[in-house]
Amino acid sequence: MLKRIYIDNYKSLVNFEVSLNEINLFLGVNGAGKSAVFEMLRKVKCLVAGDSKVIELFSFENCTRWQSSLLQTIELDIEGNGGAYQYKLTIEHDEKREKARVIDERLHFNNKPLLVFEGGNAQLYRDNHSKGPKYPFDWSRSVLASILPRSDNTTLTWFKEWMDHLVVIQIIPSLMIQDSPKEETQPSDYFENFVSWYRQVSQDQGLAFKLMTELKEILPGFEYFKFERTGEKHRLLKAYFNSEGKNASVGYSFGELSDGQRMLITLYSLLHSFCSDTKLPYTLCLDEPENFLALPEIQPWLVSLYDHCMDGDVQALLISHHPELINYLLASPVGYWFEQQSNRPTRVRSISADNEDALAVSELVARGWLNE
Amino acid sequence: MSNYSMVIVLCEDRQHEIFMRTFLVSRGVHTRRIRVNIAPKGRGAAEQHIRTQYPKEVKIYRNKCNHLNIALAVMIDADMRRVADRLDELDASLTNSELDRRRPNERIGVFVPKRNIETWIHYLMGEIVDEITAYSKLEKQSECKPRVIELAQKCNQPLDQEAPPSLHAACTELVRII
Repeated sequence: MLKRIYIDNYKSLVNFEVSLNEINLFLGVNGAGKSAVFEMLRKVKCLVAGDSKVIELFSFENCTRWQSSLLQTIELDIEGNGGAYQYKLTIEHDEKREKARVIDERLHFNNKPLLVFEGGNAQLYRDNHSKGPKYPFDWSRSVLASILPRSDNTTLTWFKEWMDHLVVIQIIPSLMIQDSPKEETQPSDYFENFVSWYRQVSQDQGLAFKLMTELKEILPGFEYFKFERTGEKHRLLKAYFNSEGKNASVGYSFGELSDGQRMLITLYSLLHSFCSDTKLPYTLCLDEPENFLALPEIQPWLVSLYDHCMDGDVQALLISHHPELINYLLASPVGYWFEQQSNRPTRVRSISADNEDALAVSELVARGWLNE
Repeated sequence: MSNYSMVIVLCEDRQHEIFMRTFLVSRGVHTRRIRVNIAPKGRGAAEQHIRTQYPKEVKIYRNKCNHLNIALAVMIDADMRRVADRLDELDASLTNSELDRRRPNERIGVFVPKRNIETWIHYLMGEIVDEITAYSKLEKQSECKPRVIELAQKCNQPLDQEAPPSLHAACTELVRII
């Protein structure tokens, strides 16, 4: 579970620090820095996965404008694998040459090093914390991305696996591509690749059956999903709905469904897929997951997510402005209020909501009285 | 339990919600047919929330119950009061809102754990309890679920004599909604 995030010199995040619970709700006015936290998590995940070079992810333009520092830092504390991980990454920008490089990357487990990259040299440590190989490494990439699993580096590679289980998405149904060229294991930033991702996860027939059973309760008339071949490798996802008085079901391609229907399918797919790995629970960062949902659909999904989080199946970081999420979740101390004044750093504080007026928390937020 | 189209759960806090929701689901209410109205967190806010929301929810229930199969389940801690006092307070809140007191045939169950919900939970976990002691909150609120499910599964049977009197009283309330 992600326990702490520290970010320095990224947009409005300066010496920014937040400690996290099983479920977390980020609240605040527009432009306060909530999504910037998610962006930074996504960048680090991409870098550690080896999907991109530093310069493709970190731009000088994203350094805090009112500062002159060329260093950007992110630290993550993760609890898991029977201990505590600390990951630190520092990027140095060269404004004139429009370049960026990793100048410091280190991973510790229970305060003992697993990886130290500094001065262009990577020093690895084995599971028993004895020194492993030391070698010069490319400044433009994460050392972690290059490390393959071995019998003596299981503690380090657990962290890489955890990074794979960090999912940062903002779901936009209208961007989803209904034709899948191949299976994909990771959701893309806006879940454009939902169909390709679902193509992969639905190979677990038990999971697909459970999902379809639940969707039958949610989507009136829904019966099942089916992939149709549209090319040698291409598949089209179709949802079949029953027709009253007729035996045959009617199929609709995924793109023909409404935004709300696609959102519901996506949210419940995420729950079923990402809450089933109890060995290494996922950390799910969702930006405004309630978008496009009809009002009666929000609380049932949220309650289900809440239960999974409390049972330790998954960790959730949510950004939302919706009263349904605010009022339900903030009956527990899981809220964080983000605030930022023009050209000043983002400040975050835990919402204690010592609310003697019995006013709904969403109403306090709407009136600007949360801090009064 | 009836095939409800909606059960409204009006409760003070998360532990109440988890208890009530787990119980109702165990008794056959679909999770999608439960709507939670939970008090905002804060000193004194929970009790006030119940007192202000209860008349509103009862009024809505009475407007809808003839054509919709609905129920209202309310949970409020007795704290240092008597269970009967809490029920009287809620009845008084109806009278103050110019509503009739709760009628015997209405599917409105008011559950009043004394001293509070932790008393019931500690009892269900096998402890000998009284209704004066303030028992500790669970580290993980969901830990109560297996015990609540057990309670739901055998709730047609008489409770042990050692069960807290407020839990005995809750059984008579349960008859209203199941």
